[in-house]
Amino acid sequence: MQRDAMSVTISPPEQDDLPELQPPKGKRFFGGREGAQKKFVAGVMSPVIAYMLLWGLIPLVWAFALGFFLYSARRAGGPFLGLGGDNPFVGLDHYKAMLDFSPDASLNVRQFHIAVKVTLLFAFIVVPLNLAITLPLAAMIESVHNRVKPFFRSIFFIPVLTSAVGVAIIWGFVLHPQRGLLNALLSKITGRLVVISWTTDPNLVVIGIPVALFAIIVAYLWQDIGYNLVIFIAALQAIPDSVKDAALIDGASAWQTFRYITLPLLKPTILLASVLTMISAFQVFDLFQVMTAGGPQDQTRALSLDIYETAFRFQRMGWSAAVSVVLFAIVLVISLVQTRMLKSNWEY
Amino acid sequence: MTGHGERTKVQRRAQRERRYAGQRKQTVSRATLYIILAFAGIVAMIPFVWMILGSFKTGAEIRQIPPTFWPENPTLDNFRTILNDPDLPLLLFYRNSMFIAIMNVFSVLFVGSLLGYIFAKFRFKGRDIVFWYILATMMIPAQLTMIPGFLLLAEFGLLNNLWGLIVPSAVDAFAIFLMRQFIISVPDSLIQAARVDGASEFRIYWQIVLPQIKPALATLGLLTFMFNWNAYLWPLIVLTEQSKRTLPIILTWYSTQNSSQLQLVMAASVLMVIPVLIIFAISQRWIVKGLTLTGLK
Repeated sequence: MQRDAMSVTISPPEQDDLPELQPPKGKRFFGGREGAQKKFVAGVMSPVIAYMLLWGLIPLVWAFALGFFLYSARRAGGPFLGLGGDNPFVGLDHYKAMLDFSPDASLNVRQFHIAVKVTLLFAFIVVPLNLAITLPLAAMIESVHNRVKPFFRSIFFIPVLTSAVGVAIIWGFVLHPQRGLLNALLSKITGRLVVISWTTDPNLVVIGIPVALFAIIVAYLWQDIGYNLVIFIAALQAIPDSVKDAALIDGASAWQTFRYITLPLLKPTILLASVLTMISAFQVFDLFQVMTAGGPQDQTRALSLDIYETAFRFQRMGWSAAVSVVLFAIVLVISLVQTRMLKSNWEY
Repeated sequence: MTGHGERTKVQRRAQRERRYAGQRKQTVSRATLYIILAFAGIVAMIPFVWMILGSFKTGAEIRQIPPTFWPENPTLDNFRTILNDPDLPLLLFYRNSMFIAIMNVFSVLFVGSLLGYIFAKFRFKGRDIVFWYILATMMIPAQLTMIPGFLLLAEFGLLNNLWGLIVPSAVDAFAIFLMRQFIISVPDSLIQAARVDGASEFRIYWQIVLPQIKPALATLGLLTFMFNWNAYLWPLIVLTEQSKRTLPIILTWYSTQNSSQLQLVMAASVLMVIPVLIIFAISQRWIVKGLTLTGLK
């Protein structure tokens, strides 16, 4: 009753004379100027669609097509996009060659196998480590005093803002064999001169994983942690205090509250963060190229680097396009699997 | 009756003791919490500190084994050498990076907000298909369209041209999605009122919708600037002429050229990384906002 009275006094009497604000049912446009709106939408959408075809869809189809050719931009080739002629059609040959696991397979193929292994290793080490660090760290930052919270968040977020090239070079200073901080620290601790070539010694392998790859993993984690941290802090802030307080009053310890209250509520965020981290981990290029350039002895040759090198250094663009299709397929499959997990967990 | 009273007394005392113990435990765990966080913070910051300290060391000090932590004779010579190096016209590279980043901010903000408005407030045939197609392109790895994109740029004569890094990136899926999310909450009545007043459709977008989403535009602008400023792979492919290159590529080039003079590389990194980093750090509140609102990279 009261609300009705209020609205009557507030709304001006002319209200009734104004045209209807809601769109009439069944009509696409409203407001009586359908023509102008249609023109506006068409005027914007037609150049945009043309643009998306040119820079989006055509390159996509072209990439799949290139995978069926022995292609180099240096050769003239056929009349249509340089395909055919000197750049012959080879059908599924590239894809068949990828399945050749014999030791006398060509260098391209062996490097591709290494690249798949390196990329999978990298992604499957990086994602769990990232979550294992960011989740507790976010909970810790969330539980400190409000005054210092932004300070800690900033410290971990600054590397996110740094260019990956900057990160690679900065870590190069830390890992430098003679002039690096890490070896200096180790020398101080052990009392002897430590000179370890973290990113260039091919014999440094721990549990089957090259140490150079670990170096890139550390640099990547250092750069990437702040991102998930921010996401998790936001998610933690969205959980009402009353839920946690209720658990604490019921006698649950801080750990129990985190384990049985906070963590389940965070599950959707955790899964989303893991999907996004996984997708970006498969595409990391800058760190691999600048920190190790794939070395030592191809031990850190990731797929993204393999694609770049074969296409732009060795001009094997057909083969490289086929490899990029494989990378796309891997990313697609893994993100679909993760999204399915995400969906099923949304419904609990 | 008395027994019952006794029990409550005992219970109360136990409860009190538990509470004190809890408080003691809490202060102890609070202290460990701060110690862990401080330690993690130092680990996160030390690579920066190492680089900055190194940029003030002399060549002789850098070559010392084992290396020193604090510069013994802090000097600005490294910065002088870099700024006077005729092979390293830093201002030119700053200008190249700045031009690409700013032009991208304008084009991405304009196209993103215009399309965001259309997807949020208009209904037309094929709208959802186009919108989902745009969203789906976010899943495609850059490496897949890299080679045809390069060939296409060559076809248009945009290789070694700064516009080659601006033209293909104007329709940005992330920007369109972000803008749409914000424009949806702009009240329809506002748009409708402008229509009744006789404003043209473009003017409604420009003068009614855009002012409503200023904070979102600022966030998206910062993210776009940051992304382009830090970009490496695409500039590496498109810009092969030295004078056209951007800062990240020059930094890697300079560090391989001077790998024996680490103090110079450190000073160059400080000059290229730190100034923008300070700007980003100041504005990170908006960057964080944009990232958390969409949950997208």
